[in-house]
Amino acid sequence: MSKEFNLTIKDYESGFFPTWCPGCGNFSQWRAIRQALVELEIPKEEVVLVSGIGCSSHMPNFLDVYGLQTVHGRGIPAATGIRLANPELTVIVYAGDGDIYGIGGNHFLHACRRNVDIITIVSNNFVYGLTTGQASATTPVGTFTRTTPRGSIENPINPLTVAISAGATFVARGFSGDLKHLAQVLKEAIDHRGFAYVDVFSPCITFNKNQTFDYFRERVYRLEETEHDKEDYFSALDLSNQRFVKDKLPIGIFYQIEHKTTYEERDFSLNQGIIPAHAPLDLTEEQIETITEEFY
Amino acid sequence: MKKDVIIRFVGSAGDGLVSIGILFSKILKKHNFNILGFRSYQSVIRGGYNTYQIRASNSKVLSVGEEADIIFLLNKNVAKIHKPTKGSNAMVIYDNDSFDLEDLDYPEDIKKLPIPLAAITKEISKLRILKNIVGFGAISQILGLDETLIKEVIFEQFGSKGEEVIFTNNEALEKGIKYAEDNNWPELWEKHKYEKAQQMIISGNEALALGMLSAGLKFYSGYPMTPATSIVHYLTKYLPKLGIIVKQTEDEIAAIGMAVGASYCGARAATGTSGGGFSLMTEIIGMAGIEEIPLVVINSQRAGPSTGMATKTEQADLFQVYGASQGEFPKVIIAPYDVEDAFNVGIEALEIAEKYQVVVIVLMDLYLSESNSTVRKLDLQRKNKRFEILNNPPEDFKRYQFSENGISPRTIPGTKNGMFFTGSSERNEEGTSLASTLAGLPDTLPIRVKMVEKRMKKLDYLIQELEKPKLEGPENAEITIVSWGSTINIVREAVLHLKEEGITANHLHLKYLNPFHEEVVTKILQKAKTTLCVEQNFTGQLRDYIRMKTGVNIEYKLLRWDGEPIVTSQIVAKVKEVVKSE
Repeated sequence: MSKEFNLTIKDYESGFFPTWCPGCGNFSQWRAIRQALVELEIPKEEVVLVSGIGCSSHMPNFLDVYGLQTVHGRGIPAATGIRLANPELTVIVYAGDGDIYGIGGNHFLHACRRNVDIITIVSNNFVYGLTTGQASATTPVGTFTRTTPRGSIENPINPLTVAISAGATFVARGFSGDLKHLAQVLKEAIDHRGFAYVDVFSPCITFNKNQTFDYFRERVYRLEETEHDKEDYFSALDLSNQRFVKDKLPIGIFYQIEHKTTYEERDFSLNQGIIPAHAPLDLTEEQIETITEEFY
Repeated sequence: MKKDVIIRFVGSAGDGLVSIGILFSKILKKHNFNILGFRSYQSVIRGGYNTYQIRASNSKVLSVGEEADIIFLLNKNVAKIHKPTKGSNAMVIYDNDSFDLEDLDYPEDIKKLPIPLAAITKEISKLRILKNIVGFGAISQILGLDETLIKEVIFEQFGSKGEEVIFTNNEALEKGIKYAEDNNWPELWEKHKYEKAQQMIISGNEALALGMLSAGLKFYSGYPMTPATSIVHYLTKYLPKLGIIVKQTEDEIAAIGMAVGASYCGARAATGTSGGGFSLMTEIIGMAGIEEIPLVVINSQRAGPSTGMATKTEQADLFQVYGASQGEFPKVIIAPYDVEDAFNVGIEALEIAEKYQVVVIVLMDLYLSESNSTVRKLDLQRKNKRFEILNNPPEDFKRYQFSENGISPRTIPGTKNGMFFTGSSERNEEGTSLASTLAGLPDTLPIRVKMVEKRMKKLDYLIQELEKPKLEGPENAEITIVSWGSTINIVREAVLHLKEEGITANHLHLKYLNPFHEEVVTKILQKAKTTLCVEQNFTGQLRDYIRMKTGVNIEYKLLRWDGEPIVTSQIVAKVKEVVKSE
């Protein structure tokens, strides 16, 4: 940054205080996102926060950046369009497990392989909160919810494994109960070149009596404090698969590679340095000749 | 002398019918003919029973016509299916080295013109494709075309492939001409000197794409679906040169999602699909509507419902697009009527979308998307301007500020002090959501009311800008024919035929379907002696739509839903029937 950066975490607040239940796991993410942006010195106008529908997806309301809330599950496509139209922007998708892994699952899969340089943060509370407590794609089998009163009979997906297999170049997990660590993970995610994905254990204090703050506090451990090699594809895959096996839940960066080219670097227009959002609208004479020649 | 000829190429999907059709169209275009070409095909990659029909005329071509004058058979199996109709006296050219017409049961009056294409071609090269060029030579002899001009086309088409290719093609052409000469093939037109033309030959989809490019299209996303895919095919060809983004996505939801994102970010953006993909897009159409993000969505209609008939034409999505997405928001619907108009609509759609910050739906149909037509040289040089985008927003900037015409100032990401929140929920002028804690509170109720009004009144202003529908033909005609979309010129042709038969008809064609010129349409229809609506669907959607918008009931309808374009003789017959009964 050439210019002096003097914004604080407070400056990134919109002035609309979050409407989440007091004690919701989303609060610490609200803080962690701002902290990461401040530490990376990214000016507010260069950030676009894109969300879907759900409790967590209210997030862009509460930050003083460009905020775009889409319909349910469609944050990733919109964010992709934004980033491709202007690759100078920092584009963050923030939504819940129902949004990204359920209704928007297809986009998640393709974002991983596409490697557009956007960040996707999933506030994962293992339940549909805003619609008052139904099973989601990550709800463990046997869980009692309002749509599974006899216990869920579906196996949950393992989103980190999915992301790693689908080709994501940054795959991490955070925990709302460990703000310091979460802010650091988000910072590295934003700084990452390519598609960065962070799943965040974010307890729903109203509709989820299983995956609570205490539940996670007893189980999580920081990967940074282990020997884990985040560039090792197979150990990352293996680790991501241990989710509920050993009753130990790793948080931190599971997988990160920097050598893979991004979509932007491969795109035939963007790799010429063109910014479509600001490019001149009028065709040049040469362009007109090129694109019409075949019609004569 | 009026010249008007219909040439039909008959082959299977692997025969390269479209390339053959376009190449021969270019030969005719070189001779200053006006051309309309259309392919009839099925959803298979190899095989299939296809035709490519060209109509060439020295006056405007209004339809591809019905019965062919010259038929060039490339494939016997297909020739069995696409027979000339009873009473046809077409010239039928076929490769008698490969097959004969004996068991095809063709009408007696046809003129058989066998030509040993395989043998002739073998003398030149092993390339099978040369057979077509030999055939072109023979047809050009029938039409009295100018050999030099044809060779110019060959040079333009194959010049980049080297001298050898040009040479063999020219030789094939010469042999075709000579064979027809030696065997005394009929000569339809006398040879004369042609003036070279400056026209373009282009499809509806390509013209639409050109229009959008000339209006500053920067982002186009789509998921493959016939008959919209050719827009992506065209745009991707020139990618590095154009410096735009063309994105194939995982589904149509992503396609429209990305287009909305790009447009929100300031890039002029569009997405395109057919009815099925449009169904998937509808939720985000509503989102763009409430978020007031400019967006162009192209729906090139094909025969439905569901997968329907993927390669056949229909006009049955009017109500789907009119009703697309829940709730009420301004939605502009424009139905281009011919290839040149598709170009104009490409420009207009992007401009309206940005100026009014609305969704513009361009309602094409397969017949228009895939027709190849000669048009005057399209002017792509434009001085585009941007609408309502602030680079230095004032301190009190409100993204959704109430205004006279409903249009609010806009900033795009990256603009200092221009940050705002927008969501798919109802909001206040700043953009703050009214959905969660503020919904239905005494203070916010009036805001909701005004927000809806603000969005909807854009249409009241837009309609004043749109060209009013005009009645073509004598005001006191015996019948008024109403149409929309690609049928315009077929109706026009029918009106001309009717005139020759002493029946006066006039014609009201509707291009802007929403907002709708209710008063103008009402006035015209009320004055009509009797009315007939011509549409490519089963229920008469435009007719129902007009009744809904104006209260006027169009008395008669001519509907076709078998997937093939309506033809002139159908309209003529229907009008005669109606006029007689009146």
